[in-house]
Amino acid sequence: MLGDLGAAIALSFTYFTIIYVTGLGGLYSERSGIVNIGLEGMMIIGTVTGSAGTFYFTTELGWGLPWGPVIGILVGMTCGALFASIHALATVTFKVDQIVSGVVINLVAVGLARFLSSIFFGQATQSDSGQPHLNPIDIPGLSSFPLGLGKAFSGLSPMVIVAFLLVFPVTYSLYKTRWGLRLRSCGENPEATRSLGVRVAPMRYQGVMLSGALAGFAGAFLAVEVNLSWNEGQTQGLGFIALAALILSNWNPKRLMVAAMIFGFAQAIPYRLADAPIIRLIPPEFIRMTPYVVTIVVLAGFVGKVRPPAAAGRAYEGGSRI
Amino acid sequence: MAAAGAALPQARRRELPEWLENFGGQVVALVGALLIAMAVGSVIIVLYGESPITVYSAILEGSIGDKAGFGYVLANAGPLIFSALAVAVCFKGGMFNIGVEGQYIVAMAVASWAALRLDFIPGPLLMIVVILFAILGGMAYASIPAILKVKTGAHEVVTTIMLNGIAASLVAFVIRGPLRYTDIGGGFNVNLRTDPFPDNAAIPDIGHFFGIRSSVRLSWVLPMALVAAGIVWFIFKRMRLGYEARAVGASPGSALAGGISIGKVQIRLFLLSGALAGLIGVQQLFADQGFLPSGYEAGIGFLGIGVAFLGQNNPAGIVFAAILWGVLARGETSLQLQTDVPREFVIILQGILILSVVVTYQVARRRLFARELRRAAEVEDLGDAAAGADIEGLAKEDR
Repeated sequence: MLGDLGAAIALSFTYFTIIYVTGLGGLYSERSGIVNIGLEGMMIIGTVTGSAGTFYFTTELGWGLPWGPVIGILVGMTCGALFASIHALATVTFKVDQIVSGVVINLVAVGLARFLSSIFFGQATQSDSGQPHLNPIDIPGLSSFPLGLGKAFSGLSPMVIVAFLLVFPVTYSLYKTRWGLRLRSCGENPEATRSLGVRVAPMRYQGVMLSGALAGFAGAFLAVEVNLSWNEGQTQGLGFIALAALILSNWNPKRLMVAAMIFGFAQAIPYRLADAPIIRLIPPEFIRMTPYVVTIVVLAGFVGKVRPPAAAGRAYEGGSRI
Repeated sequence: MAAAGAALPQARRRELPEWLENFGGQVVALVGALLIAMAVGSVIIVLYGESPITVYSAILEGSIGDKAGFGYVLANAGPLIFSALAVAVCFKGGMFNIGVEGQYIVAMAVASWAALRLDFIPGPLLMIVVILFAILGGMAYASIPAILKVKTGAHEVVTTIMLNGIAASLVAFVIRGPLRYTDIGGGFNVNLRTDPFPDNAAIPDIGHFFGIRSSVRLSWVLPMALVAAGIVWFIFKRMRLGYEARAVGASPGSALAGGISIGKVQIRLFLLSGALAGLIGVQQLFADQGFLPSGYEAGIGFLGIGVAFLGQNNPAGIVFAAILWGVLARGETSLQLQTDVPREFVIILQGILILSVVVTYQVARRRLFARELRRAAEVEDLGDAAAGADIEGLAKEDR
């Protein structure tokens, strides 16, 4: 019984990684003032390119590391950022409505992934399964918890640890550096920011491309470390769940961690705790939809209150010749 | 006096009627986008070592080269038209219904329930009832974001995204649970579909009127979609709701000052949008497959957004865009057969097309807006000049 719980927690760490890192991507973008509905699409690009990176990079570089997955994740991040630059170009340079552009990003990503897959793998919807992955690690101490709870902390991908540790550099960069202050002020009041001599467009480009890189990381992690292959539709709307977590967190990296953990656990329950008492009586579909329901309830103001960055969704017009 | 009089016609020389200017701007934007997409596509084609002309003509040949091919294009256009209209209706009112996808799949589940559980209804009456249930299902699901928006201020973009996720889970539950396949003897995978619908729920074929074989599935859904496009056009050109929607979309503040109840308009638009979204699935369910599979064509609700952009939210434009979209999609097959370019190239072409439409349309709109601003300034100058001339005239008279 507790062993099941341990396994569920282990799986929810995996989901946490995907939701949290993608959500951090959304955080950078929206804090810079660009709403990013295209997280799902950027993640999709990360899955296919990350998988291709792993697939093609088989050279041994030493240090006992399987380099394929490392390179794969880096490739996924790079391609995610490049893909996100389309969103930046459309919304910052051409001032296309940010929601419109985000939707288009999601539409294009599905097709682009198929196209890239047909180039990389010779088939449109999947790659060969069983590609190499990073050696799973046990967390010393925690993994020897009694009653099967130790399962939660053993056999984790190193990238899960990376995701947990990301909160420190992200918080630092946003709240303790000049760059972070500028980025956030572009999202709150771009006109005032410009009047202080900061150029808004480059900051927003950086925000959006960082969000693409992080969503690409999450996608590559999903393909390389979790599924060990690329499959069409493997993101399963996790990009939208990340968006939900971001809203729930009030655009705060620490609270995003909590939201991502809860939503990750909700995703893991149907796979690992389906036979547990009470849960057995609830259809798994209803458990999977909880993140969406919770977000709607919060958005509607029944519980708590959310406040997005003030200028998110609004194009910065200053200095532009029409 | 004479000098001022001569200056006036010169300043007004280049003025075209406003509608022509707007229409012209839209056509220029669309053609520009098509050219950009084809140019970028050509680069990819050349990288594959093929000739762009061969590839583009292969696409056209496969889709409009023969009757059956064009039949497929038209059969697929029906759902796309409904989907794009659903998006456009909300867009006109300044709202973004990303939830067309969710509304459409919930409506499919509702319509499937009606077809399977109300099968005592005789003859083609069942077909009509089933279509009505599809409409009601779409409307019911669309009413959630509408009411949330009006009552609590929750933004429709986020709520509809969340409702899409809920809808997917709901339908998965319906197919696995209440409407699960019951005939165990058939050897089918019983988890993945509903029972077959009764025959009298089916929407009849119209392809045979034009000599198109029935396996193409060109049904009455296409005429229904064209009628829907006409109705939407009528509502927005001739009816009060359309006027109020455009007012709310253009400037909620002025609309409110003009005595329009914004909330009421928004709810009505969402209900209309949901009704249209509800009709997206009837082609697949009742003209094509005859049951609800778990692998329903997910994504039509999102494609509709692309088609709505392509048609620039104008009903006639949407019909044209849906057919153009179908032509590209259908061209895939012949592309694969006749050239070395993979069929997925078409999806890329569609993607580039939407991207460039969105950008060129935005640029064109800003140009038009800038021209309007300049013209307003010009008119002001002319007014000043005319006023100056009058004063001069008065001064002369005084002398």
